[in-house]
Amino acid sequence: MLMEIAPGLGRPRTMQGIHGPPAALRRPTRREGPAVRDDSPVAALVARARDGDKQAWDAIVDRYAPLIWSICRRYRLDRADADDVGQSVWLRLVDQLAFIREPAALPGWLATTTRRECGRVLSAARRQEALGDAVDAAEISGDDPEIAEREVLAAERNTALREAFAHLPPRCQELVGLLLEDPPVPYADISAKLGIPVGSIGPSRGRCLDRLRRYPAVAALISNEIPAGGGPQ
Amino acid sequence: MSQQWADDRLMAALGEAVRAARAVPPEFTEAGRAAYTWRTVDAELAALTFDSATQAAAAPAVRAEEASPRFLTFAGSQLTIELEIGPDSIVGQIVPSQPGHVDACPATGAAATAEIDEIGCFIIRPLPSSPFRLHCHTAADVSVLTTWITL
Repeated sequence: MLMEIAPGLGRPRTMQGIHGPPAALRRPTRREGPAVRDDSPVAALVARARDGDKQAWDAIVDRYAPLIWSICRRYRLDRADADDVGQSVWLRLVDQLAFIREPAALPGWLATTTRRECGRVLSAARRQEALGDAVDAAEISGDDPEIAEREVLAAERNTALREAFAHLPPRCQELVGLLLEDPPVPYADISAKLGIPVGSIGPSRGRCLDRLRRYPAVAALISNEIPAGGGPQ
Repeated sequence: MSQQWADDRLMAALGEAVRAARAVPPEFTEAGRAAYTWRTVDAELAALTFDSATQAAAAPAVRAEEASPRFLTFAGSQLTIELEIGPDSIVGQIVPSQPGHVDACPATGAAATAEIDEIGCFIIRPLPSSPFRLHCHTAADVSVLTTWITL
């Protein structure tokens, strides 16, 4: 589990596999999440990307770019640094593609790699500012395991929900999309736009959300959450 | 109503998911898609096994000297590559010693080539733009690619 370069010095949990040998993605770095199983779409995408399917790679990037971006935001990186981090993370993943055995580990690996790259960019910036002493690793690491865990779980939840949404019938996507607008679109406008009576917006929404709930990745998410008893908020 | 994610909560979660995706600048995603052009199928990868910068960060008691160079080691099955990255150049050595040449390949821009002498040493000057990787080719036809190096 320890990164091999600094035995005994590393923080074992988060350092696994970052610059490590290709074994990096063979084992999940955390409890297995509900949304990404090895029979999941991610596993199929990884297999296709490994075999040279650029569209599959693009789909992987689209799924997880929000995770990487949000971590960069949490580290308050400016745009150029965030771009730098994003590029490094994806370049490393390209190298790892051939070695991924457990796609379930992918979100965790991406998050860990991103945090590490953020730390690198920040410490490089501070060195350039000549702020003097070595940067306190704890200060820049942001490696609070709880935050890290939550971040990955939130990303998996978001990914499952977006995927489910994309699989809704077009009418449902339109309706739910309008209902998600901020500021809210008045029901009268929705009614005019979609050509349905105001009175049926509520029931239609209910049916669309039922479909969303039944989507396998979302269903897995919900059933996994019941023992915890909590909500996403 | 079932306890399973009532409608309002599901809508809130969905809204959060959609907003998280919308917040990502399109160019950020596009750069990730473009990284795929670096997919390599035939070169042997040498993994980073030592990085002085990382070790300093992992052990805060060790102070990183402003001017001290950064040392990196990459290990492949046939070659080990040792690097010393200074302010304006990279001094490297491959082990076991053998001649050849090395390409410094930045993610964007043209590669630069340097000779590897009989004792396995090479100098790359100026520094490649970050991130980059080194591709070593030896006279004995060994070809090894490092993982990405970020400065």
